[in-house]
Order: sequence, then structure tokens, then C-alpha cells
Amino acid sequence: MSRPKDAMNRLRDPEALSFWQRTYVPEILRGLKLTAAHFFRNLLIHIFHLAGLWKDRRGAETVQYPEEVRGYSPRLRSLHRLTKRDDGSPRCVACMMCETICPARCIYIVATEHPDPNIEKRPASFDIDLGKCVFCGFCVEVCPEDAIRMDTHILNFAAYSRQEMVWDINRLLSNEPQRVEGIGEIRKVK
Amino acid sequence: MLEWAVAAGKVAFSLFVLLNFVMVLTWAERKQSALMQDRIGANRASILGFTLLGLFHPIADAIKMVTKEDFVPQGASRALHTLAPFIALFFALISFAVIPLGDELAVGGCTISLQVIDLNVGILYVFAAMSLGVYGFVLAGWASGNNFSLLGALRASSQMISYEITIGATVVGLIMVFGTASLQTLVRRQGDLLLGFLPGWGVFYQPLGFLLFTTAAMAETKRAPFDLPEGESEIIGYFTEYSGIKFGMFLMTDFTETVVMAGLVVTLFFGGWQFPYLQPDGFHFPGAAVVSISPLAVSIAQVMTFLVKLAVFCWLFLLVRWTFPRFRYDQLMRLGWQMMLPLSILNVLVTGALLLLLHR
Amino acid sequence: MPTLTIDGQQVTVSKGATIMQAAEALGIYIPRYCYHPGLRVAGSCRMCLVEIEKAPKLDIACYRQAAEGMVVHTTTEPVKLARQSILEFLLSNHPLDCPVCDQSGECDLQNFYMEFGLYQSRFLENKIKRRKAFPIGRHVMLDNERCILCSRCVRFCEEVSRSHELGIVNRGDRSEIALREGSQLDNEYSGNVIDICPVGALTEREFRFQCRVWYLNRAASVCPGCSRGCNIELHYNVNRPHQSGGKRVLRLKPRFNAEVNKWWMCDEGRYGFEFIDAPSRLQDFEIRTAQRTVVASREQAVQTLSDWIGDSIDRHGSQSLGIFLSPKLSNEDLYGIGKFARHVGIDCLDFRNPSERPGYQDDFLIQADKNPNTRGCLELGLYRRSEDSGGWMAGEIQRGKVRVLIVFLQDLALAPEFQQVLGRLERLVFVGSNRNGTAEIASLVVPSATYAEKDGSFTNFEGRAQRFERAVVPLGSAVAEADLVASVAVSFGMQREEFERERLLSDLRREYPFFDQEALNPPELEWVYQTPIGQERL
Repeated sequence: MSRPKDAMNRLRDPEALSFWQRTYVPEILRGLKLTAAHFFRNLLIHIFHLAGLWKDRRGAETVQYPEEVRGYSPRLRSLHRLTKRDDGSPRCVACMMCETICPARCIYIVATEHPDPNIEKRPASFDIDLGKCVFCGFCVEVCPEDAIRMDTHILNFAAYSRQEMVWDINRLLSNEPQRVEGIGEIRKVK
Repeated sequence: MLEWAVAAGKVAFSLFVLLNFVMVLTWAERKQSALMQDRIGANRASILGFTLLGLFHPIADAIKMVTKEDFVPQGASRALHTLAPFIALFFALISFAVIPLGDELAVGGCTISLQVIDLNVGILYVFAAMSLGVYGFVLAGWASGNNFSLLGALRASSQMISYEITIGATVVGLIMVFGTASLQTLVRRQGDLLLGFLPGWGVFYQPLGFLLFTTAAMAETKRAPFDLPEGESEIIGYFTEYSGIKFGMFLMTDFTETVVMAGLVVTLFFGGWQFPYLQPDGFHFPGAAVVSISPLAVSIAQVMTFLVKLAVFCWLFLLVRWTFPRFRYDQLMRLGWQMMLPLSILNVLVTGALLLLLHR
Repeated sequence: MPTLTIDGQQVTVSKGATIMQAAEALGIYIPRYCYHPGLRVAGSCRMCLVEIEKAPKLDIACYRQAAEGMVVHTTTEPVKLARQSILEFLLSNHPLDCPVCDQSGECDLQNFYMEFGLYQSRFLENKIKRRKAFPIGRHVMLDNERCILCSRCVRFCEEVSRSHELGIVNRGDRSEIALREGSQLDNEYSGNVIDICPVGALTEREFRFQCRVWYLNRAASVCPGCSRGCNIELHYNVNRPHQSGGKRVLRLKPRFNAEVNKWWMCDEGRYGFEFIDAPSRLQDFEIRTAQRTVVASREQAVQTLSDWIGDSIDRHGSQSLGIFLSPKLSNEDLYGIGKFARHVGIDCLDFRNPSERPGYQDDFLIQADKNPNTRGCLELGLYRRSEDSGGWMAGEIQRGKVRVLIVFLQDLALAPEFQQVLGRLERLVFVGSNRNGTAEIASLVVPSATYAEKDGSFTNFEGRAQRFERAVVPLGSAVAEADLVASVAVSFGMQREEFERERLLSDLRREYPFFDQEALNPPELEWVYQTPIGQERL
């Protein structure tokens, strides 16, 4: 539906409209044609789908979310996880950079002594209140130890109480990174 | 006694057709708009795992509305607030009474007209019912005790009054052509052929009248692009203070009016129950070919024809509703008074002149 | 009296003054690590290099004496390049473990590097590993990797504490700070090496990982540890209570006052703040009968106290009331209490706890009298001059003259004289911040605010009244003593306004010449720490 480039300018100046344009009738019909065309095309596709045909064409842009998901971009900021050292302990050294930068003030860290003086400091507790989190990703950017990431692709962490929305260090450590595949592709979920 | 039974049957049948159309229309509105916008539309309500293309959604809606809190705001007039949706819905429903669903049906030696009542001023009856329906909206706005609702109601009444004039004036041309105000008679007369092959439908006599009438009819239903009285999310309409089933009744009123208006357009301009070339005893094609069919089959065909035509116009109304954005109020008024009213009067004058010329 | 020009500004300084001091007089800050105004000049860090016209090369501002007609530049390109190079050198073996370092946020390496840093590291070699994070004394933690060998701590132990525990051992890039063999850094002033350490080499064991310093707020205060009245900063954390487990006041730092404590304070005072957030803090008004103890509201407690006082006066006259004050109360509180006592006619007043013995003292800061405001009590005359100690009041109780005794803060149960007679009292009222033996047996307990929780002033042993400001809100239902007295005094026909802070201050100034305004409001002094403390947005 490409229009002449000066169409918008002419619309702003009613004097520049032709007679038929000023009656609106042809333009109304054009609008109806456009929407009706979509209607019939999609209707046809859906009917063919019911008959088991044309499966490669989609009759709607809708992604039926819980049953279908799209492959997420690696840049997507999803549920946080704490990365681990080789021995499975958290990489975090409780420097409080993330807690400081957090605009929602949803990170709560308590520091304690690490037995190894070359590490010195470790988190005694590390809580993220996802009920407050705004998923800005600042914590990931600011971390000097690459100890926190948001690459789990977990988005469904809703809970029935505020307390359950607070993720403690063990839950955050148990999150695994998600492999990125088929960005934007729609996949059926069992 | 039999007369009463027949009358009750006709009312029941007519209401059955109307209310089912209304119900299906709420589903069709969602599905059609979805298809137009490359979406899927309501498809989640299920009974025992069957979703049936979302056809259970009207039922789910009804349950939801009935069970929701019926809220009457502080400062509202409780009685009128409750009465308003009933008035609005009642007058929308009764206007369907004079719309013929078919010709006469001969069963067991008794002839039944497939119309609740055949008034010889049927068209005026519809107008009267519609005009009274305005009271429902005005009362709703006024009784809510909300100034914005009142403004919405005022917009509703002025819009409906403006466009009723156009409706009335366009119908004058049609009455002049067919010489009757009874809708059943009007439909029968549209069974004659025009120029020997064209069905004699009103649209061919009154093309301009059809355009004006359809436009005005859409305005009467108060739906986009003429939804200024409601303006759900932006400009606040007369039913802002309504909830639950009372809100549902206003919604139903809108859909009922859509069906009634579609029925009226079909009846006035598209031959009502007339199937092209189908006469009471069978098909009479141009060139004298005749295929005879039993009278019962003809009656059924007529009713089906009417329903199909009705469905097509409901679809068209929905198409328009989901295609065009809302008018600005001054545009609405200018369209009504400065364009459509002069055109409809011109239509009457031209029709009269032509009739004079042809019948000299 | 040489006159010189620094960065285009002329200044005349006394003979022998250094360029650093001249710049300081002009308000020009020259970056430094080893220089400290309280210590001898070492000239080892080279951070304060400045450009002197007609001199062949850059020279250090901390050591070069100002001369007539000298023209000094502190911001020219050569100076900046020199600073950048010095920083690059100092950081070549620095571990850059800022994330785990308690100094980060108030670290001069960080601060100067932000301003003059190279930002593009050219360092390819391996850093020298040293011993990290080990205690060298009761309060101090040493990390040799972070040390830049400025020798401030060594000079402190030589010149100020004169205890000579620290030294620099080995040579070249193997040099490091070490303890003298067989010794520990546990002199009475060891905490000061933490303050003067410009990097994170010396950190505090008590404060370790308690809170990042940028979450701290600070208030100017006066140490209540002894009658010296060292000026201090009170660093408290109310922004992130979870980090320090709910403790609010986390550390004390000395605040420069040339006439009282210079840059220093003793460890006893530095770590004497635990009682502010201790579990022993009283938080509720308690009314105790023989059978049980009930928690009361403030209104109930004030009403009870007023009733008891009024009842005792009605039945036995105002001689039947005794007030035992504390030299830990502020001047304002004492004055307010005294005002009320005069009004209702109580003359049985004292503050000298007979169980108290003089403590440790030295010839530097620490005083034997461990109360911050003994001099204030004396000046206000709130004691019986004919007696040497407060023990006489036990006799009054014994004779049955004093029937209601109000004790402020003191634990009279420790004094043998009182132990026997407290039981004879009709009513014993305890007003104090922390639970003690007297609170256990008092029939009314009123929780009071500590010095960190109210504004006020202490008068030190020299007679210098020094103001302290409120840092945190009183814990629980605690009230300042003057406020409590004001609430009670209203029942005895006094106006609440008479106990308002400004009113108390102006009365004090009018009646007591020692309480002059200048001592209360010392000229705005430079904070010891050039740090972002207290600047966190909330």
C-alpha cells in the first residue's frame, strides 16, 4: 500500500485533495479492501490448516505463549544466576558493586571471611528480591568478577508470596545458563 | 387460542434468531477483528478440553458478567441507574419485531406470516423504538452521578438525533419508490424484476439512499468510527459507572442494534428474504425458465436467505468498526448535518422528480 | 617571612614552612601519600612533585622550603605526567583487589588514579606475591601486597606512640612492612595507623567486611571515653542495615582539633562505641512491682514518675527526693535536670559514684577519669561540696530522709554503701541507656538516648565545652534525659519551652562563662577523610 510521497502533505491541506478524495468514499473503500483482504487471507489459511494443508504459512502472528516459545536472543536479560568457581563455590566476593549500582535496591548481600586469604571475602548471604528487580542488568555490567549473569532465559519465576520472590544464594547458584539457539524461531513446548 | 400460540411462537422465534445473532456476534467480533489484524483471537475458554474456535467465550463472558459485583456509585440515582440498561435493551429488542424473516408460511391449512407483526407503518415503528432507546443512554449518563458520564450521554443523544434525521429522510425516498411503509409489503415489492433481469432491490432504486442509510445506521449503533458516546478508554462514555450484568446489557444493546440495523438495511435495500428469481412457487429465471419447488422449501429458503444477508451485513458492520478510527466530534456533526442531511434531502427531491417523469 | 606564588596566587608564610604548607594555606591540595602533617617528612612517595620555576627538575612540595620569590606550579603537564608515572610505579605490584578491600571508597590510590591515572596498563611482568590479610595486632590487619611503603605507620609508631613496633624490612621491590621481632602492634593508639594508611594495607579488624564505606554517613561528635573529649567522627550505616547485621554505629574516627587531640585518638575510645547498639540497650519503659514487670508507654511512665515525685513531695516534702546524676550526661541534660530540681526544691543531688576508681592514664591523650563530662557536673555545681564522694546520699537513704531516688545511668548497685540501702527506698527510678544492676531492681526504668542519638555537649577536663551532634535516631522508645525531665516538669507548673535545646543553650551561656560559644562551635574543620562518606544518594 505505497502512497505517493506527497500524500501526507496533501492530507494536511484539504484544498489539495481531489474531489473524490474529499468525499472520502474511495479512500474508505480502499481501507475496507485492505482489512477485508487480511480477513479472507487469514480465514483461508486457517481453513486449510484445519484440512492439514499449508502448515508452513501462519494465519496469525500470535505466538501461543505457554505452548509455543520463541528462541530468545543472547542479549535477553532473564533470571539472574551466580557463577561458580571450579570447586562449586560462588565467584562472588561480596564487593557490593551490584548492590550499590542497583537502582531498585533489590540486592542484599552480607559479606564474611573466606578462609583463603587470596580470596578474602565471600558472601554469607546473597538475596535478590525479584519482586523489586527491574531487570536493568546493571549488576551484570558492574560485576568485577563476572559472578552474576542474567543468561538463564528463565522468565517464569512468578510466586504466590513476596517471600518466595526473594531468591537466596543457593537458588541463584543452582540456575544454569541457557544455550542460545534459533533466535526468534517459534518452538512448540510439550 | 391458536392465534395466541402462533403469536407467541413468532415472538419466540424472532427473539431466538435475534439473541443468537447477538451472542454469536460477540464471538464474531473478537474472531473477525483478530483475523483482520493477523491475530488468533479468543480461543482459551474450553469445556472438557474442547475450545470450539472460542465459541464458549460468550458463555464465559455471560457467567463473568452475571457473577461480577453490581456496582452503583455513591451519589447515583439507584433506581434510574438500574432502569437505564433495561430501557436501552428493551427498545433495541422490540425494534426487531417488524422485520420480516420470510414470506407467509402455509402449514396445515393455516397461513403464518414469518414476522412478529406486520404494521402498515412498520418503518415508523422502528424509528420510534430507536428514539425511545435514547432515553436509556441519557438516563444511564444522568443517573450515574458522574459528569463525564453525563457528557457521554449528551454526546449519545445529540449524535443519535442527528443521524435519525438522515435515516428518516433517506427512507422517504424508498417509501416513495415502493409506495408503502409496511416492511413486509416493501420486501414483497422488491421481488419484482427491474429492467427484466435485475432483482428489484431497493439498492438499485436508491443507491445514494443506501449509502447514506448504511452510514447513518452505523452511527445509530454507536460503534467505531461513531463511538463517541462510549469512547471506552479515552473520552469516557455514559456507561463508565456500570459494571457486571448491567454493563453487559449495554454491550448487548450495541450488538442488538447492530443486528437490527443490519436487518433493516437488508429489508429496505437488499430485498429482505427475497432470493433472486425465487417466487412462491419456484424459480422464475429471466427468459421464462421455471423450476418449481415446494412451498415449504421456498419458505425455508427465504428464511435462510434473510439470515445469510443479515450475516453478511453484520460482517460488513464489524469490518467497518475494526477498520476506521473514531471521528472527532465536530467532524461527526459536520458529516451529519452538512453532508448527509443535504444529500438525503437531495435524494428525496431527485427521486420525486424522477418518479414524476417516469409516471407521467 | 618569604612570599611565594603558587598557581598564580601569592602567599606569605613563616620562615621554614614548606611549599606543601604554603599551598595548604591557599587551599590548594597537592596529592600526597607519605606526607602527613602530624608526622616528620619522609619524602618517599614522590607524589607531591611540583614544578618550581628556575629549578632544574621537579621537586617534592612536602620537603622543599618556601623561599622568597619562588614561583610554583602544581597543575602543569610535567606535574601531571609525574603523578601519572608515580601512580604507575606504585601500582606495579599492587594487587588491585579493590572488590574485597575495605579501604576502597576512601583509598587515595583509587582517588588519585581516577584523576591522574594512566588507564592503559603497560605492565606485562608478574606481580610480586606477598603475605595478605593477617592480623598484626588486636585491631589491625596487614596486607603487604597493597602497601605502597609510604612509611606513615612506621613513623607513627616512632614519633607519636613511641612504641617502635613497625619497620620496613628487606630491600628494593622486596621491601615490606614488618613487626619488630616478637612484638605485636597493640599499643594504646594502634588504631591510628589504620586512619593514616592511605591505601588498604592496614585495615580495621573490627570493621572488617561490616559495611562498604560509601554506605556510611557521618556525624561530628566527641568521644565519651574519658575526660579528654577527643573530637571524633561517628560513622554509621542506616542505608543498608542488613550488611552490618543491624548495627548502626560502625566505627569512630578522630576529627582534627589542634588543641585537644590533633589527628589522633586512643583505641579505648575508638572501640568504646559498642554499647550504642549492644543487646543490653534498654528499649522500653518498664514499671516493676514486687510481682511482675510490665512494659509501659511513654505517657504512662511519665505520669507514674510525676505521680511519685508529687506524692513524695506532698507527704514528706521535697527533701524526700534524691537525684543521682552521671558525668556521662551532656551539659544540656544536666542543666535541664538541675533546673527542674531547683524548681521543685530538690537539693539532694550528686554525681560521684563512690565505686568508681581512676583508670589508666598516660601523658598523651588518655585521662584517668573515664567520664566525658565530670568537669561539666562540677561547673554546674550539681553535687554536695562538703562531701568528697556521692556516698553521703546512702546515709540520707539509711536515715529514711530520701525516699524516692532517681538514678541516671550510674550503677549504684556496685557501690557497697548503696547496696545495703537501696532496698529501703520507696521508689527507685533508673534512667539509662543500657541495662545494669540498678536497672534490675528499679521500680521504674526509663530508656535513654546515647550520645550518638542526641545533640549535646561535653565539657572536658580543661573546661572546654565541645558540642556533639546526633547521628542516629534513639533506639526503641529511648528519650533524651532533658526531654524526659521536660515531660515531667510540665506536671509541676513548668513550661515545656524551658527545656528546649536552644533555650537550655542560651541559659547555659548566660549563667556559665566557661560555656562560651566559640568552644561549642569550633571553626569548620577539615574532615580527616577526603572520602565520599555520606554522599550516597538515598
